Amino acid sequence: MATVELHINTRKVNIDVDPDMPLLWAIRDFVGLTGTKYGCGIGQCGACTVHLDGNAIRSCSVPVSVVGSQKITTIEGLSEKGDHPLQLAWQQEDVPQCGYCQAGQIMNAAALLRGNARPTDSEITTAMSGNLCRCGTYQRIHKAIKTASTMNSKS
Amino acid sequence: MERRDFIRSAGVAGGLLLSFQELIAGSWETKLVAPGAASPALGDFVRIDASGDILFQFVKHEMGQGVATAMAQILAEELCADWEKVRIDFPNADMQRYQNDRNGGHDTGGSCTIIYQWDLLRKAGATVKQMLIAAAAKQWNTTPEQCYAEKHYVFQRNTSKKLAFGALALSAARLPVPARVELKKASDHQIIGKSKPAKLIPKIVTGELKYGMDIKVPGMLYAVIARCPVFKGKLKSFDAAEAMKVAGARKVFSTQRIAGLQLNAPYMPYDIREGVAVVADSFWAARQMQAKLIIEWDEGGNGKLSSEDFEEMAWNRATHRTDPTGFTGNANAVANLSHVRKTLRASYVFPQQLHSCMEPLNCTAHTGENGCEIWIGTQAPHLIDSEIRRVFGFSQEKIKMHLFPSGGGFGRRYYPDMAVEAAFISRQAGNLPVKMIWTREDDHQANLAHLFQHMEYQAALDKDNNLYAWYEKEIRTYTWSARYMDPKLPSMAYAIPNVRYDFEDMIQQELVHSSAWRGVDGHGRFYGECFLDEVAAELKRDPFEFRVSLLNGGKDTYVGDAIPVHGSRILRVLQMAAEKAKWGETLTPGRGKGIAVSTFGYSYCAVIADVTMHDNKLVINKMTIAIDCGKVINPSGVEQQMIGGIVWSLTALLYGGLPIKNGRAMHTNFHENKLLRMNECPPMEVHFVDTDEQTPGGVGEVSSPLGVPAVLNAIFAASGKRIRKIPLEMQGIGTTLREPIK
Repeated sequence: MATVELHINTRKVNIDVDPDMPLLWAIRDFVGLTGTKYGCGIGQCGACTVHLDGNAIRSCSVPVSVVGSQKITTIEGLSEKGDHPLQLAWQQEDVPQCGYCQAGQIMNAAALLRGNARPTDSEITTAMSGNLCRCGTYQRIHKAIKTASTMNSKS
Repeated sequence: MERRDFIRSAGVAGGLLLSFQELIAGSWETKLVAPGAASPALGDFVRIDASGDILFQFVKHEMGQGVATAMAQILAEELCADWEKVRIDFPNADMQRYQNDRNGGHDTGGSCTIIYQWDLLRKAGATVKQMLIAAAAKQWNTTPEQCYAEKHYVFQRNTSKKLAFGALALSAARLPVPARVELKKASDHQIIGKSKPAKLIPKIVTGELKYGMDIKVPGMLYAVIARCPVFKGKLKSFDAAEAMKVAGARKVFSTQRIAGLQLNAPYMPYDIREGVAVVADSFWAARQMQAKLIIEWDEGGNGKLSSEDFEEMAWNRATHRTDPTGFTGNANAVANLSHVRKTLRASYVFPQQLHSCMEPLNCTAHTGENGCEIWIGTQAPHLIDSEIRRVFGFSQEKIKMHLFPSGGGFGRRYYPDMAVEAAFISRQAGNLPVKMIWTREDDHQANLAHLFQHMEYQAALDKDNNLYAWYEKEIRTYTWSARYMDPKLPSMAYAIPNVRYDFEDMIQQELVHSSAWRGVDGHGRFYGECFLDEVAAELKRDPFEFRVSLLNGGKDTYVGDAIPVHGSRILRVLQMAAEKAKWGETLTPGRGKGIAVSTFGYSYCAVIADVTMHDNKLVINKMTIAIDCGKVINPSGVEQQMIGGIVWSLTALLYGGLPIKNGRAMHTNFHENKLLRMNECPPMEVHFVDTDEQTPGGVGEVSSPLGVPAVLNAIFAASGKRIRKIPLEMQGIGTTLREPIK
């Protein structure tokens, strides 16, 4: 066990955990933010996607000890009022069905848009093909990313 | 008796609160009984606060099929509510109040929610509206006829007077519940029939929505179970010394086989495998403990068998045995075919496969001496209730169940085993609260799966090339309760003079326990749409025209349900799909189209696949879907279900399967058990058939069985290859990536 300080969203949190524990479980079970989901545990589904210093990573596959002072952003911290262009576009295009994978989808898409404000259709498809959705919302996810990319960012 | 006895107007928020009890009284003329007695109450389901906020307490299960939003639309329409002021919540299970029957119980499955709740929720909304109007009329010293409701206000005609719903709620609650209410005309609908984004989206996109997986209760421990990797295997011994060295380890103990709902023996809708449970302070610690267990299993007979052995057994049954578990249709349909010109035969296989709900199975339970508390997302609280009572001997009032939406259910969450396992572990852990989680590896290696279906077909063509006889034998691993449960004639009400359907049950031989899976038995059954294409090809008939010719001009046909299959509706979806997909246009070599049609949940759907085949590599250019689900509540939601169902079927088509070797599942996680990804997802279009139908049908399972037959028929049209078994990956057909039409 080791004490780890996490910079998560706008907070600093100290937790006492096994340093090998994946960041996912630190976020969910120790910090108490449950918007980040467990789907597969091996980086195949993307439900656990969060940002480390703005880059999308699979939190199920990153030990908590390697995070260090990097800034973690989870779905809860993507925007202050739930009004990130992607969050608005997800509503507008009525994207989610069960919703379980959507936090990971949005976090992955947010990292895409951060580096590429106007992605092409195939850039969206390539960037999003690591995230599984069993309900089959891909067509609308794709559309909502296009929609978001044309909105003026409020941040 | 006092109205107050059954209108709980003095509730938490001091507003109006109407329960199903009043509706029963009004609509079904059931006499109300005194509070405290066993009553037919179905629960409080709509509350209007003084602020005007409407809380719709949705007692069914929302698992992505969109029913919470659609049902709220029905209620809000008749209530004349402002849609923006309607919120949805999920009340705790209550087996007394929310009886599991057609009046609105918890039970969610079989695409039935909208069918059963349509009338009920319209009456509910209209009842509340009428009470609000009556309250306003009283305040204005006028008659209800002089008032009307619109968008959250009651207005007095020919005056400027208006009162907000919130301001009227409390006084309305003191008024009698009207015995009769008038429902809106369809032409006046403003919310029904309009696309509305799902009500839960704001919580989903901010991570606020709580699934069962997200629950934390004080003092909660975490549990994982190492279940026997071989179905029906037994635990011989285990060594937990290393596991107990993990920091945070609490307990290790064996778990028992619990086979469910024994009234239906020998058929067990669920069958919990024996195993070893580990309990720890965190999920991560429990996961580590599970990995460090040393377990010896007695694998039993199944440990020597593989998928190929099982499929061979099914093949033998299909081709040799003639003692069906049951049959329906004309016993002599294919008894004497000496006079026919030609007989066609074909075997089709739909293998077992997983539900792969994105939210892994889980349940939190806290047992006590005489009862327990459960936190779970489930399609069937009544089964959990009855099984917990049976297994643990608790009385119903001592079981408290908190219900949550699920990250996918697809039939898997209809089964109560998660709750039984979690309660068992909580008890063994010393009556401590425990969250039991299936790891994704557990999900792949010890879960229930879609039933196995081997379909054996025979068709006879007479000397005039008419389809004279149709025989289909289904060899299947799933029945719910009886040995033979599906007396329906072959699916589609085609006009064939001699038809026989045999059912053979192989549930005792299955290597993985079978269960309902989005579309249930439809997946194998709708292979009939492929065999029909084989008949059309033999006759050199166009598959679309051939279907139309068999539909008897659109007559109704009874195939085993109380409600007939409407041939006219099949015709319309076929025609719309054909028109939209440009059926019959000239295609370049290598390209082809395939069609399939079905009915499920009183809805009708036709799907056309447009594919290109080059060198055994398939590209799906487009999927066109035509749907007639009767009255459409939320077009956006219906479109989602149509497309989601096709994505579901394309996963089955390309990758679906649960290969078993020596009794053990070969797939361990999503890198081996592949699901369709965005780059494999073809463009899809959904078209609604214009209809005068006034009642809605279910839409969650009507397209999901159709992607497979439509694409297989298209592959034949494109290449002349007849594929009769999925997944394509195992049939030498390269998987598809989305590419433009060449």
